[in-house]
Amino acid sequence: MIRALYTAASGMMAQETNLDNVANNLANSSTAGFRRRRVQFEDLVYQNLIMPGAAASQQTTVVAGLQVGLGTRTAASEVIQLQGDFSQTGNPLDLTIQGQGFFQVLLPDGETAYTRDGSFHLDGQGNLVTQDGNPVQPSITIPAGATSVTVASDGTVSVTQAGQTAAQQVGSLQLALFNNPGGLNSTGSNLFLATTASGDPVVGTPGGSEGLGSIVQGMLEQSNVSVVDEFVQMIVAQRSYEANSRVVSAADQMLQDINTLGR
Amino acid sequence: MQQSSTGTPPMDSGYYAACAGFAAQAQALDLVAHNLANLGTAGFRGQQPTFRSLMAGGGWVSSNPLNAAVNDFSVIGGSRLDYSSGALTGTGSPLDLAIAGSGFFAVQTPDGVAYTRNGSFHLTPTGQLMTPDGNAVLGEQGPINLPNGSVAVSSDGTVSVDGAVAAKLMLTEFAPNVNLSPTGNALYAAPDGTALAAATSSVRQGMLEGSNVSAVESVVQLIRLQRNAEMMQRALSLFDSTLNTTATQDLPHV
Repeated sequence: MIRALYTAASGMMAQETNLDNVANNLANSSTAGFRRRRVQFEDLVYQNLIMPGAAASQQTTVVAGLQVGLGTRTAASEVIQLQGDFSQTGNPLDLTIQGQGFFQVLLPDGETAYTRDGSFHLDGQGNLVTQDGNPVQPSITIPAGATSVTVASDGTVSVTQAGQTAAQQVGSLQLALFNNPGGLNSTGSNLFLATTASGDPVVGTPGGSEGLGSIVQGMLEQSNVSVVDEFVQMIVAQRSYEANSRVVSAADQMLQDINTLGR
Repeated sequence: MQQSSTGTPPMDSGYYAACAGFAAQAQALDLVAHNLANLGTAGFRGQQPTFRSLMAGGGWVSSNPLNAAVNDFSVIGGSRLDYSSGALTGTGSPLDLAIAGSGFFAVQTPDGVAYTRNGSFHLTPTGQLMTPDGNAVLGEQGPINLPNGSVAVSSDGTVSVDGAVAAKLMLTEFAPNVNLSPTGNALYAAPDGTALAAATSSVRQGMLEGSNVSAVESVVQLIRLQRNAEMMQRALSLFDSTLNTTATQDLPHV
């Protein structure tokens, strides 16, 4: 019976984690390029009280045995790489990837991070940077005096200078693709880092055959959080938590029954 | 069945019957607690307690019907896996697979082949199909390695990448008399040689099967167990007070 108490507690802790995750997803329901996470649970080990196949009598054997499980644990929170909705902004530096690729961003410590958030800006030197000011890789510099910036679907960035009619190519964006994007490490600020689970990225030109996807200018990818789904998940988490707390009180009541024996 | 005519029959007291009954309800509570704790575990299969009466397997010859009645203890006989399907929910992820039907995915674990209904799979950096805890998913030709590209899984388990067939998932079914034993992580072990190629199961891509534990049913079961235990407790108190009366009031007058 003490088992039941701890088993129910493991269920309650798991549902707490579930709710934490729902809260984070909902809080980021309007973060551009956000990828929601999904918590996964696993059942814990089993205690074999009666082995299946043990002798029940001299002629018969136990057919099913008695295996008591010890609860659940939170196994993983996987990044769900489904595309979010696109919204049209008209801003020439808002870029969206139509496919599974990621933009590459150079962090101050020299590491490369990956993002789906394509709301880029220009810094004082005309470099293409993220909202946090980290430069996009490979670096793109828009010369001063450019009147328009065009990003083609294959990532080619071209500008038109004042007084000129011909567009001039200033660089070309490349995208990164992961075999297991679910294994990326979220570091906040819409950035992901590669891990041994995600593997090293395949870097290539957008629109190629690798499945990187092509770039759409003037659009932004919204968060892929579905508020309805998260609400449903929240209700499930809350009700499961309640059911487990019901087990705790039942176990408590039964222990109390034992304690009142002989009084 | 061998009749034990020389052995001493158990004592005539309902006290032990109530005690055993209480213990059985407490053990059953452990099972229900585990089921409810795993309401959110994908592909989890709930366990149901089975009770049996002790006398039925003991081979005792009762001296009289009263003796039989009070010594026929209820003990927990075993746990039975519930093989009904959990609800399928759409996730949209191409590597989330659910099985419609009674089949299982085969998984290579360090302890041998295990079976699971949790089809939340991933690819390793080298393109191998894995379960969330890093066990290789087995195809009909062993572990499945997929090239880069968009993955499509047909209902018979054929995995194709960008339209080219890459592998076929090993789907297995078990005869109704085969008992799977849970090993944790939503994995189930089967006795050797019992796995059959799936005949009626089909794969649904972009869906996951939830736990097959019904919260309502389990909570009702919980209430029943609790009330049964209370009844046993009442019975124990009654026996206790009777014994007490006998010991303190009746015996001194003998």
